[in-house]
Amino acid sequence: MPRLPLTALVPLPTRPLQRLWSRSPAGGQSRRATEPGALLLLPAGHGRGEGSAAGAAAQALPGGRAPLASRPIAPGTGSRTGPCLRYGVLLALALACALLAGCSQEQRQAAASSPTLRRIQASGRLVCGINGQLPGFSSLAPNGRYEGFDVDLCRAVAAALGDRIRLELQPLSLAESFAALSSGQVDLLSRNLSVTLGRDASGGNGLSFAPVMLHDGGGVLVPRASGLRRLSDLAGRTICVISGSTSELVLADRLGERRVPYTPLRFRSADDSFSAYLAGRCIAISSDRSGLAARRSRFRQPRDHQLLPEVLSREPLAPATAQADPAWADQVRWVMHALVEAEERGIRRSTLAAALQRARSEPRRSDLRRFLGVEGDLGASLGLPADFSVRVIRAVGNYGELFRRHLGQASPLDLPRGADALVRDGGLQQAPPFR
Amino acid sequence: MGTIRRWWTTLPMACATSALLLAGCASEGGSGVQSQKLSMVLGRGKLVCGVDGKLPGFSFVGPDGSYRGLDVDVCRALAAAVLGDAGKIEYRDLNSSERFAALSSGEVDVLSRNTTTTLSRDAPGGNALSFGPTVFYDGQGVMAPVNSGVRSLKDLAGKPICVETGTTTELNLADRMRELNVAYTPLKFQTGDQTYAAYLGGRCVAVTSDRSQLAGKRTNFPDPAAHALLPDVLSKEPLAPATVNADPAWADAVRWVAYALMQAEELGITQANVAAKVTAAKANPNQADLRRFLGVEGEFGKQLGLPADFVVKAVAAVGNYGEIFERNVGSGSPLKLERGLNRQWSQGGLLYSPPFR
Repeated sequence: MPRLPLTALVPLPTRPLQRLWSRSPAGGQSRRATEPGALLLLPAGHGRGEGSAAGAAAQALPGGRAPLASRPIAPGTGSRTGPCLRYGVLLALALACALLAGCSQEQRQAAASSPTLRRIQASGRLVCGINGQLPGFSSLAPNGRYEGFDVDLCRAVAAALGDRIRLELQPLSLAESFAALSSGQVDLLSRNLSVTLGRDASGGNGLSFAPVMLHDGGGVLVPRASGLRRLSDLAGRTICVISGSTSELVLADRLGERRVPYTPLRFRSADDSFSAYLAGRCIAISSDRSGLAARRSRFRQPRDHQLLPEVLSREPLAPATAQADPAWADQVRWVMHALVEAEERGIRRSTLAAALQRARSEPRRSDLRRFLGVEGDLGASLGLPADFSVRVIRAVGNYGELFRRHLGQASPLDLPRGADALVRDGGLQQAPPFR
Repeated sequence: MGTIRRWWTTLPMACATSALLLAGCASEGGSGVQSQKLSMVLGRGKLVCGVDGKLPGFSFVGPDGSYRGLDVDVCRALAAAVLGDAGKIEYRDLNSSERFAALSSGEVDVLSRNTTTTLSRDAPGGNALSFGPTVFYDGQGVMAPVNSGVRSLKDLAGKPICVETGTTTELNLADRMRELNVAYTPLKFQTGDQTYAAYLGGRCVAVTSDRSQLAGKRTNFPDPAAHALLPDVLSKEPLAPATVNADPAWADAVRWVAYALMQAEELGITQANVAAKVTAAKANPNQADLRRFLGVEGEFGKQLGLPADFVVKAVAAVGNYGEIFERNVGSGSPLKLERGLNRQWSQGGLLYSPPFR
């Protein structure tokens, strides 16, 4: 068995934090300082398909970090700070932090009831599991930062948690994701993950899903020159799929119903699957339609490839947390709702200051005041700062801005809002009342 | 030296392994699902369901002495799914003020009582509820006698308005009237009965509540046609069943039984044809989706701690969502409400079940 370096036991950072933004403690900060915190970039190559729980063995990755499966995993704080031994020390630290950090009574109580929040407050870090390889959702930009729709949800949650919390992004393959969440390796998954019964059920993966961020659906991409125009044309052909993904099952179901025999070519990672497709090892590739559009935008000749018209499934993509921690799930859920509520109220990043001004000066606008934390204690009941909605909008804008920037008209994907328009515009997105 | 190195090498592995095993115990122990509430319901052989009990269309006692309504059918679907018998239910009538305490104290297993999902009810520092899927997208309205001359909210300046206290509607009314700068006198009551009695007794010129509730109550008025809803919609009111935050496995079961009713409509499975669909699914191994949904193959029931055929039992008992809607509040009922937002997403509504897989 390969030797696991001792560095695997040492708490992060094993390489210097790359502080991209800094924050001043409170109030009167510069525009920069209002960003949700520093991003910690993990070693390139981490989280690729080969790092799955089964295949990882104990091979250390560059940068002194062990792959997921071999890292010490313990409930609570252990996974991020070393083996089980450190648990007691960490608990003490957590309590001290909670006392010293000046959190409100409510935030301390929430921390007490939520192991995840306790962990986040002790380490000062929110660790968000992302795909990392999917343009539009989460991918490395030329400037070396991860960006995308999923990344902005992570940033929104980090911002809502308050000034002290830095965001760390952890690219994960699908196969790694569930273990990483249940072991506490990551606090939150924000990675184009479909809500399904099996993943939600306590006797399945035991996840707790946040509201749907994108109502996606399975699709098939083919080369335009292939002459393939519909699903039934795929009879006898080879189709590239990502092993263990929902789209693999959906494809099998839809083609099974139509009695279309085909040969699935399975790959652990999306990268491998798309490489095989572009190399001509399969005549079609199946995944979520948004994912296919995202990948296509990076092809050398995007126009040479087209989506088949069939929408194979409902794929509601949503962030997920561990079911065992409902208080934490509540926080994530209402951050997502805040993004949508902001759009319903017409509050954008650029108009936030004006909305806040209006809320402060007009005592009659109770619902706006409650939403922005000017009155009432909605934030406190979640264990968040009173102005968590303001922090979220300031960090990433509203839901519509997020969509447009990463998936919609302002992005190479150019996806229509479709089912993800606001309810008043004929879509499905609507936040429950903030009261 | 070699042994020492070996020791250091294996320590983290051992830790990781034992932690994985422990984590496995937590999520997979026993039958695979650990829910105190589910065990209690199974042990008791009866589901205790908190309802309004006096709201036509949603939960009320019919002429034959049995409970009826959309909220009641959600209870019945749940009892059928969990216990195999939609009749094994004990209903508790709860007013707005007592409903959350009844849930958190464990007096009722589930609240299916025209309750709006809101932040403070959901939050751990608030009522710490766990909301299921929205089963009725509602909105707050105001009803006034046709001959009162009241046609919009502004016409209510200086007038008394009857409202049930402890409800979101009370707060919404206050908010909207403040925004409109309309002074009014709220007349607050503990129960819906008192509120509507006061309205009918002429103590107030208008009554406010969710539009569905106003339409439901109006069916019991001596002269329903003498009362009209104002055009104003004051709020979004997604009504959903609720359980306690502390038992996520039970919340899962409730959530997926509600989704099953919506999914059944999407798949065209009705109370009348569900048995035939099961037969067809058994005969056709290619219909994987349908077979899993109906529990012919797969482990959905087991993963939720429910019988394999929980969907079949629920639909056989109450029908799919569309049937429930039409029978209780839609065209087949005195309320005659439009499906509106409560259509399937593919039909322009908001009902969207995540995939059963």
